[in-house]
Amino acid sequence: MISANDLKLTFGQGTPLENPALQGMSLTVAEGEFVTVIGSNGAGKSTFLNALAGEVLVDSGTIVVDGEDVSRLPTHKRAGRVARVFQDPLAGTCEGLSIEENLSLAIKRGQRRGLSSAVKSRYKDRFRASLASLNLGLENRLGDKMGLLSGGQRQAVSLLMASLTPSSILLLDEHTAALDPKTARFVLELTESIVRESGLTTLMVTHSMKQALEVGSRTVMLHQGKVVFDIAGSEREGLEVKDLLELFEKQRGLEITDDSLLLD
Amino acid sequence: MLSEIALYGAVETGLIYGLVAFGIYLSFRVLDFPDLTVDGSFPLGAAVAAVLIIEGFNPWLATGAAILAGMAAGSVTALLNVKLKILNLLASILTMIALYSVNLRIMGKPNLALLSEETVLTPWYDLDLAYHQVPVLLFCIVLLVSFVLLWRFMKSETGLAMRATGANPRMARAQGIATGAMIVLGVALSNGLVGLAGALFAQSQGAADVTMGVGVIVIGLASLIGGEAVITPLNVVRALLACVVGAILYRLAIALALNADFIGLKTQDLNLVTAVLVTLAIVLPGARNSLRARFLRNSSKV
Repeated sequence: MISANDLKLTFGQGTPLENPALQGMSLTVAEGEFVTVIGSNGAGKSTFLNALAGEVLVDSGTIVVDGEDVSRLPTHKRAGRVARVFQDPLAGTCEGLSIEENLSLAIKRGQRRGLSSAVKSRYKDRFRASLASLNLGLENRLGDKMGLLSGGQRQAVSLLMASLTPSSILLLDEHTAALDPKTARFVLELTESIVRESGLTTLMVTHSMKQALEVGSRTVMLHQGKVVFDIAGSEREGLEVKDLLELFEKQRGLEITDDSLLLD
Repeated sequence: MLSEIALYGAVETGLIYGLVAFGIYLSFRVLDFPDLTVDGSFPLGAAVAAVLIIEGFNPWLATGAAILAGMAAGSVTALLNVKLKILNLLASILTMIALYSVNLRIMGKPNLALLSEETVLTPWYDLDLAYHQVPVLLFCIVLLVSFVLLWRFMKSETGLAMRATGANPRMARAQGIATGAMIVLGVALSNGLVGLAGALFAQSQGAADVTMGVGVIVIGLASLIGGEAVITPLNVVRALLACVVGAILYRLAIALALNADFIGLKTQDLNLVTAVLVTLAIVLPGARNSLRARFLRNSSKV
């Protein structure tokens, strides 16, 4: 469960570049819910995710994950609860390390690391089985360097890494945006099946309104660092992109100026 | 050409600089942390070991203390960077400069002679070996032990976390790795190795001198880069091997250059030769690739 209350965060406070990224952002996500987050550029989507992960600390407000206030904790202390996949396929893995080394890093997420061998033989069968489920032939390439994989393959492995150890929440930051349409669909389907199997509480930021309505069980739109609308259940069913646009304009009295939101 | 003694001398120094190259591999390559502290932690190791040996401590104990002193120096550099947010290169320069005074304080004067003292080498001279072969044997063993320990460490959970910290800090944090702590540990280990090298160097040369650290960073880098030009560092073992091979080749190249009368180089040309060798080591692998590409292009035309 995630509960974010009245988050405020301003970048470059007191400088000419002052940028209020979060302006009283509140959102409560129930256990096992899959929420898609949309919003135009600068709406605060990535900042919100970074605030949840601990990459940025909020100026005020509280973030509670599974009953614990994590607002002031740095990223690595939240990692046991928070799994994350980045937009940039290069960001979620280490290209200089092998596939099995990357997976071994992830299997100890949020736990103490000692001096025993990192890539244990008992891990390997599990790695092979998980990789085989991707149908990418990676199960026979455990020793290959991550840098040899394509962007889509790396995103798929990043998703596996996020699901190797139990966590409370999964944060997906436009994780299909840098992929070609076919690979993006594959990674999205993989995301859905992983979320379904693990029952993870998931937040997925996306640039595509269509994608936002197709996956997950609830959609939230951010604008100027706040939630402007929040739809779920029957209200959300059968909704199309143009309905979403109308909803947005009605709520804000604004026109969508960011074309990329309208593109599929 | 080289006399046998000059050859052994070059290998002996090469083995010591192999330890320095390990340290520089840890900071520059694994952590991506350009660390110049080594110019100070090398004489620091020498000073600590020399003072303790003269005080009558067991030379191995003194050498162990030199390692700890080097680690402390490395921790200072890393903490300046991690906690006080000082640029890594600048943080290391600050520590290096400070260590010059610290080393003078430790020794009480600019140099200490160890010629009549019992060192780690003393018992080994009882072996049935020529005088110039003894240090080579002992330093081979020390280097081998360091090699195995470092290799096992890099393969451990903590070592892997350290490699991730240098390669992709954002990903490392997301995996729950305290990247700041990893930088402190890594830079400390790196300078511990350099402190060990300094302690052994002082004992084999028979003196510790406050200026003996000048240019250690360049020699270490020369060894690292030169070694990588010979052995492509595809994995940890090869990377460590490259450090050793690079350090020994470097010393041999220097010895050859200075011994070859027909070139006309003298001892004072050492740093010039070093700079030229480092430049060659950096440029040659690229030149080799572009030559190969040109050759392939030409041959495909035929």
